[in-house]
Amino acid sequence: MLFHDQRCIHCYRCLRQLKSPLEWESQGNYKWAVSLGTNKGEEKFGKSFRRSLHLRVVDAGACGACLSEIEQINKPYYNMHRLGFFLTPTPRDADVLLVAGPVTDHMRLPLLKAYEAMPAPKGVLALGACAIFGGVFGTSFASLGGVSSLIPVDILVPGCPPPPLAILHALLALVGRAEAEICLPADAPQGVESHV
Amino acid sequence: MFDLHRLFFLFLILCAAGVILAAVLPRRQNQAVLAWIGSLSSLAILIVSGNVLLSGHVWQLKLWNLLSLGNMILKMDRLSALFVFITGLVFLPVSIFSGQYMNLKKYVKRYSLRSFGIFYHLLFASIILLLVAGDVLSFLLTWEAMSIFSYLLVNYEHEKEETTRSGYLMLSLSEAGTLAAVLAFFLLGRTAAGLDFPSLKTAAAGMSEASRWAIFLLSFFGFGVKAGLVPTNIWLPRAHPAAPSNVSAILSGVILNLGLYGIVRLNADILPVSDVGAGALVLIVGTVSALVGILYATIRNDLKEMLAYSSIENMGIITASLGAGFIFRVAGLPVLAGIAFIAAFYHMLNHSLYKALLFLGAGAVDYSAGERNMDRLGGLIRVMPWTSLFFLVGALSIAALPPFNGFVSEWLTLQTMLQSVALHSMGIKIIFALCAAALALTAALAVTCFVKAFAMTFLGVARSQKASEAVEVTRSMRTPLGILAVCCLLFGILPTYIIPVLDDTIATFTHEHMVDELVPPFFTVTKGNAKFGEAFIAEFHDLGAQVGRDFIPGRGLVVLHRGTERNPVVFAMSTSYTFVVLILLLAGSIILIRILTRVRTVTRGPAWAGGVRQLFPNMTYTATGFSNPVRVIFQAVFRPLIFDEMKETVAEHFLIAVKSQRKEVYILERTVFSPGAKLAQSLATLLGRIHSGSVNLYAAYILIALAIVLVIQRLM
Repeated sequence: MLFHDQRCIHCYRCLRQLKSPLEWESQGNYKWAVSLGTNKGEEKFGKSFRRSLHLRVVDAGACGACLSEIEQINKPYYNMHRLGFFLTPTPRDADVLLVAGPVTDHMRLPLLKAYEAMPAPKGVLALGACAIFGGVFGTSFASLGGVSSLIPVDILVPGCPPPPLAILHALLALVGRAEAEICLPADAPQGVESHV
Repeated sequence: MFDLHRLFFLFLILCAAGVILAAVLPRRQNQAVLAWIGSLSSLAILIVSGNVLLSGHVWQLKLWNLLSLGNMILKMDRLSALFVFITGLVFLPVSIFSGQYMNLKKYVKRYSLRSFGIFYHLLFASIILLLVAGDVLSFLLTWEAMSIFSYLLVNYEHEKEETTRSGYLMLSLSEAGTLAAVLAFFLLGRTAAGLDFPSLKTAAAGMSEASRWAIFLLSFFGFGVKAGLVPTNIWLPRAHPAAPSNVSAILSGVILNLGLYGIVRLNADILPVSDVGAGALVLIVGTVSALVGILYATIRNDLKEMLAYSSIENMGIITASLGAGFIFRVAGLPVLAGIAFIAAFYHMLNHSLYKALLFLGAGAVDYSAGERNMDRLGGLIRVMPWTSLFFLVGALSIAALPPFNGFVSEWLTLQTMLQSVALHSMGIKIIFALCAAALALTAALAVTCFVKAFAMTFLGVARSQKASEAVEVTRSMRTPLGILAVCCLLFGILPTYIIPVLDDTIATFTHEHMVDELVPPFFTVTKGNAKFGEAFIAEFHDLGAQVGRDFIPGRGLVVLHRGTERNPVVFAMSTSYTFVVLILLLAGSIILIRILTRVRTVTRGPAWAGGVRQLFPNMTYTATGFSNPVRVIFQAVFRPLIFDEMKETVAEHFLIAVKSQRKEVYILERTVFSPGAKLAQSLATLLGRIHSGSVNLYAAYILIALAIVLVIQRLM
């Protein structure tokens, strides 16, 4: 049965409707972070960014769930500062853009501007199913259906929403401190596929 | 060398020629006449006064003998010469600027350049004659002439009601001041042999305490009005926006100084202040003026109104250090008094330079953008690079940042204030401490104020159509700005050459030289002398105070006040060396950045504006926004009464426009100016009753007045 972990929104329709339910957890194909290319981030940032990375969060039309998970990593329990990650309000200081949401038409220009305002080297994290391929919104006149159709993305963080530890893992993977599943651009998801 | 008399008369002849040529020539040539005759006459007067300042040769000229009123005397001592020199220094660039500036669109064809030229030269002549007047009569005559000509120039745009109102306010306050000054001179001259200043001085020696106080209060009020001190400062912020910018530059750079000249001439030279209370009053009034001036300046958005309030601030600082000088002098501390007077005169010189520069800069902005409101300016640095550079120099100078001139004098002022520990009376010490704190706050607010002035006018994006269409002004308007900017820099980095000259100037009334107290002879003395011991000189040579001895003339480049054996250096600094170090640091960092970024690529992008689709000018930071924290923090000082006005336009049942306006009335207007104006008006109505228009009645008035005078004459 077709199951694409990057697109899973945890709706469990697969469990209710399919005769042979997907045991996706045991199959072990759910990843915390998927890198689009071999060690792309590590190469890009080099050694000097390993323990100091500044993040700028862009809400490109997210429902709020991804944002609340991002909020968690800033709190004492997950505490991203201990790992050397910091939030910054301006993309001028940022090294990494954290994008959540399917990129609505209204957020297309601001996202592009924020990306262009960042100094090189710059990385982009697509957080959640929406940012990866459009999620439940898909592609329409109001939604671009994923960040990668606008700006180059380095790491995908699947989940709806992705758990905070997954975000931290993706960030660590970006600077080369953790391993991320590699998915070459050819395997990257294209469009929406039916589950039934 | 030169015959100073002849040169002085050449100046008067040039002014007369300017008046006549302005009256007969057509408009186009009139501009050239204004620029050329004005700058030539300033050059002549600069040479005369510079000569007197440097050589100390006092020249005196007896004019006519007016029977009972005594001789009319023109006399230029060093004190006059300093003021004359400052006047010349301001008039030179202003004259060059005026020629082109009077082409302003709103002036051409509506107002006559002819009358401007006539009054301009007459004003120049009357100011110089006022400063060299050696007797009461010529002083008062030229004082009146100066008041009236400056009023006429301020009132240039006489078709505007706002302008005539401001001009009238200026004239009436100025006349009230003159009245007080006349009374002061009258009290002084009662017992004197003649009305010339030396005989007044001899008569003043034996005066009673009460009449001394009366003369002090009258003259301090009378001349304080001209200097724009609180609470009679109201005319300044109204007259400046109304006047053409070149007149504003003269008003601030020259005419305010005349008030100080009156105060110094009367209360330091002719009748030295002999009471600590009088000195403390001067100190407090000065400090309050400084603080009030800068607080109002920070929250104003009209470029010229802001500069006018800042003039009040600077006059306050100068008056405060004069007051400190008076107190030190009475307390028997001539050295500290001398330093305070030097600080005051230095600051006055600096203020004239940078305020003229800033007003001309504001004039250039007004000329080019047709707008003075900082909320609607912005982004001019791209189209007016030279003007903005010179304006920046002016702003840095007035914000007292080294190496520009404002720093030196404000530093000296604050240092003098800190020396109040030498005084004995605890009350005066407390006053000094409070005043020093207030002046320090003033200096800090001045930085805020001029960061706002420069940033909101020249940086960012143009916030109005007019500002976006501005172009750089012509060379004839840029050159005078450049002259003043260079002067600001030179007077800032060469204080050790200015202080001896100022020291000679104040010696005309303190009769003591203190150049050794401020500029030690590190260049000329190598082995030490009686005052500066061998160890002291050697220590400073080790610190580098003798660097440049072989090729730089003068005593040294360090300003230093020597204390006692236990505390050998009270304060010391050297802007000259600082300047060299700054240049080296700047050049070094530029080279370092070049080396470090040699292999890197630089990408240039638009400014980050929060990702908005398009950055509209009215989204950007405005002058009101920038100064709002000050407005909020000092709400307890301003105590505003707020009047909100809402205007709704309804057409065919629909609300089509809502216009909201807010007016704030601050405590100073509420408690001092409005009651004052009401009092003056009711007095005028009362006096108006005796004017019936009947000739017979007026003849009776004359008879009654004559009878009263005769009775008084008889009784005395």
